[in-house]
Amino acid sequence: MHSATHDKESALQGRCKRVPIFSKYRLKIALREPTAAIGILAAILFSYLIVAPIVSLLGDAFRVQFADSMRIGQAAGSLTSYNFARVFKSIVAPDILWYPLIHTLSVALGAMAIALVAGGLMAWLISRTDILGRKWFATALIVPYMLPSWTIALAWSSIFLNRTVGGQPGLLESLGFEPPDWLAYGQFPITIVLALHYTPFVILLFGNALRSFDAQLEDSARMLGAGSATVARRIIIPLMRPSLLSAVTLIFAKCLGDFGVAYILGAPVKYDVLATSLFRSVTARQGGEAAVLAGVIILIGTISVLIDARLVREARRFITIGSKGSMNRTQALGSWRLPMTALAGAMFTVSVAIPLLVLFLSTVMRTPGQFTLDNFTLAYWIGHDLPTTALRTGILVTRDFWQAAWNSLWIVGIAAVCAGVLGVLVGYVVVRTPLKSIGAYLRYITFLPYLVPGIAFAAACLSIFAVPHGPIPALYGTAAILILALMADQMPFASRAGISAMMQLGKDPEEAAQVAGAGWWKRLVKVVIPIQKGPLAAGILLPFISGLKGLSLVIMLATPGTDLLTTYAIRLVDFGYSQAANAVVLMLSAIAFFGTVFLQKATKTSLASGLGG
Amino acid sequence: MPRITLRGVEKRYGASVAASVSNLNLDIGDGEFLCVLGPSGCGKTTTLRMIAGLEHPTSGEIQIDGETVDSVARGIYMPPEKRGMGFVFQSYALWPHLTVQDNVEFGLALRNVDRKARRTASDAVMEKLGIAKYRDRYPSDLSGGQQQRVALARMLVVQPSVILMDEPLSNLDAKLRLEMRAELKRIHLESKATVVFVTHDQWEAMTLASMIAVMNEGTLQQLDTPDNIYNRPRNQFVAGFVGSPPMNFIELGPDETSALSASLRTYLEGAGLGACRGSAGIRPESICINASASSTAPAGAYSGQARVTGIMPTGGSWIIELTMAEQKLFATVNTPPRFQMGDEMGFVVERADLHLFDENGDRLPDEDAVSLQGEGK
Repeated sequence: MHSATHDKESALQGRCKRVPIFSKYRLKIALREPTAAIGILAAILFSYLIVAPIVSLLGDAFRVQFADSMRIGQAAGSLTSYNFARVFKSIVAPDILWYPLIHTLSVALGAMAIALVAGGLMAWLISRTDILGRKWFATALIVPYMLPSWTIALAWSSIFLNRTVGGQPGLLESLGFEPPDWLAYGQFPITIVLALHYTPFVILLFGNALRSFDAQLEDSARMLGAGSATVARRIIIPLMRPSLLSAVTLIFAKCLGDFGVAYILGAPVKYDVLATSLFRSVTARQGGEAAVLAGVIILIGTISVLIDARLVREARRFITIGSKGSMNRTQALGSWRLPMTALAGAMFTVSVAIPLLVLFLSTVMRTPGQFTLDNFTLAYWIGHDLPTTALRTGILVTRDFWQAAWNSLWIVGIAAVCAGVLGVLVGYVVVRTPLKSIGAYLRYITFLPYLVPGIAFAAACLSIFAVPHGPIPALYGTAAILILALMADQMPFASRAGISAMMQLGKDPEEAAQVAGAGWWKRLVKVVIPIQKGPLAAGILLPFISGLKGLSLVIMLATPGTDLLTTYAIRLVDFGYSQAANAVVLMLSAIAFFGTVFLQKATKTSLASGLGG
Repeated sequence: MPRITLRGVEKRYGASVAASVSNLNLDIGDGEFLCVLGPSGCGKTTTLRMIAGLEHPTSGEIQIDGETVDSVARGIYMPPEKRGMGFVFQSYALWPHLTVQDNVEFGLALRNVDRKARRTASDAVMEKLGIAKYRDRYPSDLSGGQQQRVALARMLVVQPSVILMDEPLSNLDAKLRLEMRAELKRIHLESKATVVFVTHDQWEAMTLASMIAVMNEGTLQQLDTPDNIYNRPRNQFVAGFVGSPPMNFIELGPDETSALSASLRTYLEGAGLGACRGSAGIRPESICINASASSTAPAGAYSGQARVTGIMPTGGSWIIELTMAEQKLFATVNTPPRFQMGDEMGFVVERADLHLFDENGDRLPDEDAVSLQGEGK
């Protein structure tokens, strides 16, 4: 009845018999469940949504565009180096590429430097010292990052706007000072505003690193006789360097793709950065030129993200050295306590309080800076018959505003739901598929948009979706192109969230259901999705908020018919209705802020309750 | 009724890595309680998961009750959900979003059992396992022992005729483990199911199993009754893995020059066994320590002289370290030792308690052992 013959002969036989990779048995297992099929479908979908646009864009760079075909005497679509010549060494090259490139680099480097100093100091104050209101500052100083990046830019122009451009005068102008151009527009304000917006990045990343710093490393240096300056110089700073560098590299990548700030503060004095130069090329229908420019942006973006990935790996290597014993120890500041608290307060005032207050005041005052009761008005919000050429009603009673709000809601909403669901699905396929190569492909391809700044990705989307391809009609001017672009743009975060959620879930709950008799669909509906509803909700809400406030991606894709709140606000800026624009941005900021706060609260609680509370 | 048969089953996770399970042939009889025992990484869990259909062999065949459920050569595969087995996971794998009751009733709902019958069946099982009062709780509100019982209830409620368990007791404390062992034995008796139980704990295997399969590095070492596994280990691995403290091994090869090896060789040759070039194994409890070696030794037993170099009480029994020249031997005694550290003591091992292995570590054929015993008398 029981036989346990470990038969050497047949073992040998088994070894000689090569197991074929595509046996009927393996095929049967692979095809039994739709996981593999879904994986293949998802791979095709993302190839089309993410790879195809970028390939098409790069292809455009080497092809004669229709608009240029007469000028250079070659048929549209034939191979050419004309586009490169035009962008890199023609007479217009400085305007198209070189100046914008120099501007981008100097603005980004400046913002990096300021954010590094300000953010590093703030991170240290918040996580390692005893300044008053530490907890409060820890949240309050992050607020600029929750708001659209160009909120502060609008506030800046509300304060410093001078006579160079039309529209309502700035606060200082109406108080009798005339701000010089360098203060009102161009490099200086762009650098400052970007720095203020991205400082929270350093506070978050560097602060986390500081908090998780193993106090024993510090103690052992002290025990060997090192003073606190030596400890900082020889132990803390070297260990913190990767995370600091990582934070500033990310800031660089973000600045590279930031459109709104440079557009609002640079355009009036023709101060172009790469993003705005690309925007002008696209709006001037210079497809080939735009393709090359977008390629340059993608290249720089990719390089900086890859550098960052390396730094993060290095930072992680340091963390593994000392993982335990982080004591979150604070340093008593003594007589410096109040001045340092005041410094943090000043940071909050400059980056949050003043911008929001100025924006708000600009929407309720007829003339800026004149604090008399009759100067206050709600007309810009709910008034009728304003003394302006167009837009003669308050923003809340303007049809276009509500149209844009509705567009934002449903377009971004659909994109976010798709991204969230696809993220979980990708997570499921990556973790579960029997076809490992499909899983790996999906993992990489969904990460790809992370390397591509939004504005360049928008150019890529235009390059492929603006013309009909086979059964797919031209999508420019439709909501579909916005949905596709927003969705693809959010996939890196959505799929990462999905993968990590599925990894955390592990196989057991699903296998338990399988052994109990549940087929694939039952397992998905009764086990996987109910357990993952927390991550799924977060995976939808997060892209929603970030899509709602994002501008760079959609600025070239939205048309007046498909305006979102962000593009609508920029249109208002273009026409000089700064109060209305400010009002829209204030509302956007409120949604973004409360949405983020809600999300943080909700995911914490919903995750806990999702696991059976 | 369910017999489980594995024929030439092999599992590789990659072409270049060693097989996790290689050429496994196993017959598990109906109503058997088989424990698969082995160190971690020996392929025991993989074997269990292949029987369940959660893992797929790279070659070979698996049959349940005469029906082929896996056959790589013939391209046959039956998915786990169709095999109708019970499986208890090491982590219990309770669904965190369902209450205890819903967890237990899940399988019944899948079988389209109506609500009332479901309730009756789940109540009965939960009552029996003493978890009825937690029926509305979520798994995260239960202790480990309670979760374990829910996992058992969930598995039992559908009355599977094959029950597979993957180290189900390893996350429980010692007392609970003892209780659950008794519970599992009771469940086996009542359900008459065929049970395959994976564990690395030899006491668990000994106390529960009707048959034990010892595995190491992907191959089956011995499939036998617990008694034979302990008393007639088929090779040195099984002999050394089962038993605590582990069996003493004395190398007998001609190069071994230690006093103990030499005296054992002499003894064995004198007993007419000829030259054993492998090793001899002696279980600690087979070593009988007395004041003077030869006086009380039974006829034909091996006796020697050694110094006491360690006395370690374990509560109720004592582990004694004996040193003969350089060689150390561990013995266990159940009465308080009447000697002290450094004492020179005699010890005796009965001939039947000497396990002999050849150079490859395989147990020497029984005839020799029998003839050895016969000659001694």
